[in-house]
Amino acid sequence: MTDTASHVTTQHATGVARRRLGRVLTTVGLLAYFAFSLFPVVWMILLSLKDKQDQLTTYFAFSPTLDSYRAVLGLGDADAGVPFLRFFVSSLVTSIGAVLVSLLIGVPAAYAAARFSFRGKENLMFTLLSFRFAPELVVIIPLSVIYPQIGLFDSYTGMIWVLQLVTLPLIVWILRSYFEDLSPEIEQAALLDGYSRTQAFLRTVLPLVKPGIAAVSLLAFIFAWNNFVFPLTLTSSNAQTVTVGSLSFIGGNEAKFNFTAAAALIAAVPPLVLALSIQRFLVRGLSFGSVKD
Amino acid sequence: MASVELRGIAKSFGRTTALADVSFTVADGSFFCLLGPSGAGKTTTLKTIAGLAEPDQGTVLFDGVDVGDVEPTHRNVAMCFESYALYPQHNVRDNLASPLRSPRHRRPEAEVVKRVTEVATTLGIDHLLDRKVGALSNGQRQRVALGRVLVRPADAYLLDEPLTHLDAKLRASMRAELKLIARQDGTTTVYVTHDYVEALSLGERIGVLNEGRVIQVGTPQEIWEQPATVFVAQAFGKPRMVLLPGAVVDDPAGGRFFRDVSGSLRAPLPEGADVAVGTQLQAGFRPRDARVLGPDAAVPDGHVAVRGRVAVTELIGAQIEVSVEVDGTLLAVVGDRARLGQVAEGDRVTVVVPAGRVLMFEHGPEGARIGP
Repeated sequence: MTDTASHVTTQHATGVARRRLGRVLTTVGLLAYFAFSLFPVVWMILLSLKDKQDQLTTYFAFSPTLDSYRAVLGLGDADAGVPFLRFFVSSLVTSIGAVLVSLLIGVPAAYAAARFSFRGKENLMFTLLSFRFAPELVVIIPLSVIYPQIGLFDSYTGMIWVLQLVTLPLIVWILRSYFEDLSPEIEQAALLDGYSRTQAFLRTVLPLVKPGIAAVSLLAFIFAWNNFVFPLTLTSSNAQTVTVGSLSFIGGNEAKFNFTAAAALIAAVPPLVLALSIQRFLVRGLSFGSVKD
Repeated sequence: MASVELRGIAKSFGRTTALADVSFTVADGSFFCLLGPSGAGKTTTLKTIAGLAEPDQGTVLFDGVDVGDVEPTHRNVAMCFESYALYPQHNVRDNLASPLRSPRHRRPEAEVVKRVTEVATTLGIDHLLDRKVGALSNGQRQRVALGRVLVRPADAYLLDEPLTHLDAKLRASMRAELKLIARQDGTTTVYVTHDYVEALSLGERIGVLNEGRVIQVGTPQEIWEQPATVFVAQAFGKPRMVLLPGAVVDDPAGGRFFRDVSGSLRAPLPEGADVAVGTQLQAGFRPRDARVLGPDAAVPDGHVAVRGRVAVTELIGAQIEVSVEVDGTLLAVVGDRARLGQVAEGDRVTVVVPAGRVLMFEHGPEGARIGP
């Protein structure tokens, strides 16, 4: 009896030890991956704090300075002579504009695609999707010929328009699945309660897809903000965005990698702030309780 | 209030036919029950009346006027959805008040509050008014859905299985409550159910639906006593009607009668029925109409008898359910223990039924009833 008992205890003990070892290895593995994936960011931060002499060294010991940031933002005497703030504003205007226009068109389109059947629906939806998976370079040549001719080159309108290729498919496809998840009977109930179709949509459906709209807007904003090819080919100065503008520090007679790093880090702030502030909307399950489960 | 009439409604979803041919009339202010198994097209029928489903063929008329072009919002019907379809972002109070705050049926806020409280009290959900619907049980949600219908006067109430998720006790009391409300308000009501007890107890008239077709429309008594087909006969009553296959034979003494395949049941054909000798028929009776006698008992006057062996007996309180095996078919007989007497499994018995209670049907599961 006692023999068996102690045997069982030993087995149990090895089991616990093995599990503990597994946990430790998992943690170590995660830390390693964490270090690996965050290292470029850390490097960028270090680089942005270095001065011109240190920018090409790999030393970790240097006297940190905020001069690069001052230079990029054009503060004091350190002005690097690049209109970075204008790039920043261009990025904000074109990205936010693109998302808003996409929402205006995409929400009704997604709703229609989810609720109604009409001729050519799937073809239309697929065409929209193809904008996402076809490389941007495919459209860039004709666009760079057409845009100057119709006066859209280097304009906000032109950028917002071309960014629809990036944001609209995303918004339509993701919101469509949100609308499809909602029982059509909720709107039908609203119709019978005496609301018009528009009121039923605004009053009962839209509030329920709010989390979806928040999530997809954020995603679309990030894609629009990070876009490089369109501003590179379709803008020169007025509507130049940060992604392209940050590179102006590298051109010229000397490459200022520390300025580029500072610019890139500043450019990363808006998506980050947006993601954090929108986080609380990013929960599913608002429709819980409507229909039988 | 309005009368509701459906004429030859057909509706398909892709390749599946939901409604093949549905026609019936619900008189102004009457309570109509639509009964059928799942997939029979009950919900589609309701949605067609509400205007939420557009029929491929046929017309819907309110008070004799075609409402085909009238939007659901303007049909002035209220519907209780089987899925409840509550507004999850609102609490119970706002869900109930929704129709009274809509542009079409707007009432002064004081009246809304009063009406919502009244309905919630009737349905026993007045203590839940401030809860979000997500925090309710299915039974409570179902009552909220029903309340949202009852809260405003409408030309017609369309109720899609409104009591299925309540527990048995609550269901019985809500059934009585609904009957009372319907009688008081006199609102035309179409009530969909798959529960024959609900249909028989609530419906002034009942329509039986199967595979997108109306099989029979009639009063509960007509449906019970003169079912149009085998399907209708078996849809009502538990245990369900058992059928003995057989055929029409010549009576040497003159006329014709029905004899089942075992040869033990001989029953007269219904009055006025003209069926050729040799026609395959099936005879059925309700388990509650039969009695069990000893093996050699004399058959009482005006009764038909069939002999068999008791296969199973089940005691259910004061009731006893006896299954008698007749040539491979199990016949169910239900009655008071006192009336059915003491029978034991394996006993040879005679099952007797008043001749007038035996129904004859044509061959097959959709066989039509023979006779008046």
